[in-house]
Amino acid sequence: IVHSPKKLPPGFDKKASSNKTQRLVSVCKMYFLDYYCDMFDYVISRRQRTKKVLEYLEQQKQTQNMPTETLNNEWYGYLQKEHEVLRKRRLKPKHKDFE
Amino acid sequence: MSFLQNFHLSPGQTIRSTRGFKWNTGNNEQPQGQGQTQQNGQNSPLANKGQSDFTSNSNFMTTPIKQRGTNNPSLFNAPADQQQQVTDFNYTPSHQKPFIQPVSGTTVTTHQDIKEIVETTLGSEGVLNQAVKLPKGENENEWLAVHVVDFYNQINMLYGTITEFCSPESCPRMIATNEYEYLWSFEKGRSPVSVSAPKYVECLMRWCQDQFDDELIFPSRRDGVFPDRFIDKVIIPMLRRLFRVYAHIYCHHFNEILELNLQTVLNTSFRHFCLFAQEFNLLRPSDFGPLLELVTELRDR
Repeated sequence: IVHSPKKLPPGFDKKASSNKTQRLVSVCKMYFLDYYCDMFDYVISRRQRTKKVLEYLEQQKQTQNMPTETLNNEWYGYLQKEHEVLRKRRLKPKHKDFE
Repeated sequence: MSFLQNFHLSPGQTIRSTRGFKWNTGNNEQPQGQGQTQQNGQNSPLANKGQSDFTSNSNFMTTPIKQRGTNNPSLFNAPADQQQQVTDFNYTPSHQKPFIQPVSGTTVTTHQDIKEIVETTLGSEGVLNQAVKLPKGENENEWLAVHVVDFYNQINMLYGTITEFCSPESCPRMIATNEYEYLWSFEKGRSPVSVSAPKYVECLMRWCQDQFDDELIFPSRRDGVFPDRFIDKVIIPMLRRLFRVYAHIYCHHFNEILELNLQTVLNTSFRHFCLFAQEFNLLRPSDFGPLLELVTELRDR
């Protein structure tokens, strides 16, 4: 497949080798690499945080005999913080300097 | 399947001969690769009996068989450099292929070939499926909102790389294969009109951006809440439209994407998009229109 001549629009090579296209292509690749690294990092570390919190709450329940209400409040407080972090991710300025 | 291939159909009848999809092959005179010119006018079904493209399954591209001149008279007049068999990687669903295809050397056929391509171009298998799942205890609206913004940015990036090749001249209509055209409605109540692909993408991106900037739809403050029926009214319409940019790229610019070596990025992004839509039941099969077969292929692997 690599050696197959492909059907390309007229003037493709010239446009493809132009600085503008080359720059856009490398920016695009970098963007995706960065995005997926960041995304996986977020998903994994968030799961680890949640796991720790749940373990902590479970432990408190067993040893301290904390009332369920307190435990629930702590859990919701944690979720609220995570929620804010996630919202910030949506709002963070992205790749605006490339435009 | 070969039974269907040899079956006689009168002109005008169509048949979905296979659920697999194939590369376009070089029998297309049009410079843009859109438009599946059916050059079968002279081919009687009898003459092509048994010459279904399934026969060249295993050794595609290695054994160029000379096309018989009578099958394709326009090749006769073409300059020498155009006589070479040229492969068009732009995606066309199988039901859009001409019913009987003349034998040619570079036929890439069946699932096997596309599978190879997808497998070699896709990186993280199985990881994306996990990553789209809603984190424990998270608000679903927020999770979807974050993702829609991400996909918007990804598509912006992907389309940005081919803006040089997607002009009002090359793509005067926003189409994905010949079967699908997407129209843009400039004013509420007015009927949507046909615009060029770059114009459509521009309008679409601005439309998305306007909603992202609207505090009532995508709240940015800590205490901001999402509107009622946010998923049905905002998320789904947005994803439906963003999908069309993927469709246009796959169907009409995949050659260029391959040449620019961006197929990994495009496939990963699109797969992520599909898995996400599937996880939350956001798009129906009909929304995938021209790429339905590709979506099935990505999902089932």
